[in-house]
Amino acid sequence: MSDAKKIVLAEDNSTLSLLLKFRLEKEGYKLLIAADGKEAIELIGQHDPELILTDIMMPFISGLEVISHVRNKLNKQTPIIVFSAAGQEEMVLKAFNLGANDFMGKPFSPNELVIRVKRLLR
Amino acid sequence: MKSYQYFIDYFKNAPAIIQVVWVMIVLFMVIITILIIYLKLLRSRLRKNEKIVAQYQNEYESNLITYLYSGNEEEEVSAEQQLIVDKLKSCVPDKFKRRVVVSTLLRLRNEISGEMAESIQKLYFQTGLINYALSSLKSKKWYVVAKGIRELAQFHVKEVNDQIVIHVNNPNKEIRKEVQLYLVTLFHFEGLKFLDVLQTHLSEWDQIQLLEVLQRFDEQEIPNINPWLKSKNDSVVIFAIKLSKIYNQFEAKDTLLELLEHQHKKIRVEAIQVLSHLQVYEAKEVLKNKFNELSLEEQIAFFKLLENVFESSDETFLQEHIQHKNFEIKVSALKIFKLLNIEKFHSFKRLLSAPKDAEIIEFIENN
Amino acid sequence: MNTSTVEIIILIIHFLFFIYACTAIASYIILAMISSKETIEYMKKNSFVNYKEILSSTISPSITIIAPAYNESLNIIENVRSLLSSHYVNYDVVIVNDGSKDDSLEKMIVAYDLVKVDFLINQQIPTKPIRAGVFKSTNPAFEKLTVVDKVNGGKADALNMGLNISKSDYVACIDVDCLLLENSLQKMIKPFLEVTDKTVIATGGVIRIANSCIIKDGKLLDVNFPKKLIEKAQILEYIRAFLLGRMAWSRLNGLLVISGAFGLFNKKVAIEVGGYDTNTVGEDMELIVRMRRYMEETKQKYKVAYIPDPLCWTEAPDNYKIFISQRNRWTRGTIETLRMHRKVAFNPKYKSLGLLSYPYWLLYERLAPVIEVIGIIYFIILAALNEVRWDYALAFIILAYLFAVLFSIVAIFSEELTYHQYKKKGTGFKLIMISLLEPFVLHPFILYAAIRGNIDYYFNKKKKWGEMTRKGMATS
Repeated sequence: MSDAKKIVLAEDNSTLSLLLKFRLEKEGYKLLIAADGKEAIELIGQHDPELILTDIMMPFISGLEVISHVRNKLNKQTPIIVFSAAGQEEMVLKAFNLGANDFMGKPFSPNELVIRVKRLLR
Repeated sequence: MKSYQYFIDYFKNAPAIIQVVWVMIVLFMVIITILIIYLKLLRSRLRKNEKIVAQYQNEYESNLITYLYSGNEEEEVSAEQQLIVDKLKSCVPDKFKRRVVVSTLLRLRNEISGEMAESIQKLYFQTGLINYALSSLKSKKWYVVAKGIRELAQFHVKEVNDQIVIHVNNPNKEIRKEVQLYLVTLFHFEGLKFLDVLQTHLSEWDQIQLLEVLQRFDEQEIPNINPWLKSKNDSVVIFAIKLSKIYNQFEAKDTLLELLEHQHKKIRVEAIQVLSHLQVYEAKEVLKNKFNELSLEEQIAFFKLLENVFESSDETFLQEHIQHKNFEIKVSALKIFKLLNIEKFHSFKRLLSAPKDAEIIEFIENN
Repeated sequence: MNTSTVEIIILIIHFLFFIYACTAIASYIILAMISSKETIEYMKKNSFVNYKEILSSTISPSITIIAPAYNESLNIIENVRSLLSSHYVNYDVVIVNDGSKDDSLEKMIVAYDLVKVDFLINQQIPTKPIRAGVFKSTNPAFEKLTVVDKVNGGKADALNMGLNISKSDYVACIDVDCLLLENSLQKMIKPFLEVTDKTVIATGGVIRIANSCIIKDGKLLDVNFPKKLIEKAQILEYIRAFLLGRMAWSRLNGLLVISGAFGLFNKKVAIEVGGYDTNTVGEDMELIVRMRRYMEETKQKYKVAYIPDPLCWTEAPDNYKIFISQRNRWTRGTIETLRMHRKVAFNPKYKSLGLLSYPYWLLYERLAPVIEVIGIIYFIILAALNEVRWDYALAFIILAYLFAVLFSIVAIFSEELTYHQYKKKGTGFKLIMISLLEPFVLHPFILYAAIRGNIDYYFNKKKKWGEMTRKGMATS
């Protein structure tokens, strides 16, 4: 029976997505990958995941808009972790103001990510 | 045959210039035909290459991920991993494939840290990719050398430091830049030592790239920047000023105050901006005393500084300048006044009755 | 006048035409060679720059994107969204709603949660006044957006309002329906930051034609080669002009025009010279010439840079009527600018601006259509008088045609070797076909439009911008 927790990952770097998918699926989660913000919103709408991982800088719809969409339009409290490159503190602050739960600056350790995912999904 | 003969005769009898024209016509037609054929071949080749690159990318991506997750506790390199290493090793001599392997490794290397990153590094060595980067350092073509240095920086290969450092004063700008980025990426703030001896100009672009690399590292490591602030190389001074701002180098306060007398206006203005950011009160008096000799840009920067460090003793000075013809200075002065002395601020409404001024006062009042 | 004088005059006329044609052709070849060399240099330098990683931090210089909008209601929401999603960090977007008669403003207020705010504008350049006000968003995701609603004043006036409002060091003036690629701002600002011994006052880049491309929600999904001859011909023309012309002019520091669709400027210099001129239809070219003049007159070293990267996609006219109207406007703009700045012509005080760029633009851009038409009329007269050696004429005409085709094909090659934007099968063939057809399908209309432009300029002062009906980019 599959009651694995679903995670939507919005990341345009395919190699990184693959790595994270591998890692997180080993921990028993189900990963849905979106290559940009638009796809992410669609996946979130379709599958109603337990957790969302999103990069801030993405083609077309930014990570910030994804957060805004989930918190304000969908009115959901799904835990959200954002990734950001160094030097984007302003963006990270905005993400938190919009309702993100945690952030990881790139480069990050996948093991660390797993720990935080587990913590938020407890 | 007759018409053919006709053309030959015609050609022989035509004036020289017409002969030239017809020769060129034939030449052009031949060239155009050749180019059309070549174009078709070129496009097919480009299309094919793209497909192949996508294919290889997928392949190497999964190879990489498998490699990263098939290690075990006992051995340095597990059997599964060795298989992948050997496979990649065989691909690497091919320039095309090598490029795809490197870009795949880098796409991941730049995003993650920790033991995964170290594994990727190991893979870089084990597959022999490093040797190609090293040999490119000896190339005669500048872009090959620059690319090689960049690759070695991205894979954090400290071992080759000696071979790279010799290029520090290379006549080519791009190579020098890559060397600087290498030093800073690998040795963090220590790598900035090249600033001590830099003769050439550090462009804004270079400075920003260096700063962006430095951002990733622990701020505590920043060395004493005073020598750089006193450098004869103006671009080094500007870079040091940026450092003092980003890393809040209050210790450099005195040297920064000295820079208010620097011969270049740009440096003086940047110094004022940093002193404003660091809220250095001493700067206020120095600049206030020679306000009228300052250039307009310095004056504007000074007022921005005043917005941060104003005191009630500045009231008389401010009052002299609320009617300054420069918009930004006027706004700054009025803004400060509103905070300093609200009644006097209201009294200005009568004094500054011109519509543009009234607009400014109203805006400041409400915001 | 006896016959020998007439003969001499005719000979001189022929000689002049011949010289003109030869020098024009020689200049195209030289420019093409310099362009190719510059493009190769550029690609080598930038092949390993990862634009996604750099300049995505607050250390980078501030840029304001100014986009004037007039009756753009059909696509305004998507266009604004596209402008907001650039990967640069330190930038903001100012949409200047230039007295639109439609519901552009209302749509934007709803889509972006806008509210009217108090805003103090430093009126460095006089503009038409504000109408409904200045608006900003209550949603932090749209913090970068400012919308200004003002009384209609034309594109130049709207851009000037943007210049007044911007608090950045650099301004990007863009057509609101231009689809900006993610890394365009990084690429455009690089010349400003790299050049150490001069001030870069403006940068331009390559504008791609978006007709028939699939664009959904402001994202370029698929690049297609259009079906209509006129659209295809324009693509070819743009490739030729951008890849084989502008790069060379940038190298020679002789660029007089960067596209009006997208350009990045040093704001301080733009405001120093008084911003855009609202009395000309060629405001983009005129500003560059004026900025260059200012730098020469104040004896500052400067450069107008150009990068060969495609930066944005925009809609080109898809029918002859609008096309002719556009080229007519370009002609009048060129004439106006050259006349306004005629002090510069052949004046050594203005160095390359006066001795190279201006003369070249005058002779080979502004006067070329006129000379060509005069040549055609002259030829017709000769033909009527039976003075034509048809076999010679034929030879020259064929040679000219082949040269044009060869040049186009070389342009196609440089496009394939650099950016290879049209990847689909069969497009190569279509490109060749349009190279063969363009001299018949586009060139005559360019000539016609240019002559109309000349006539309108001298005899019909009332013409201004003309409407370009917004068709909307193709959605899938």
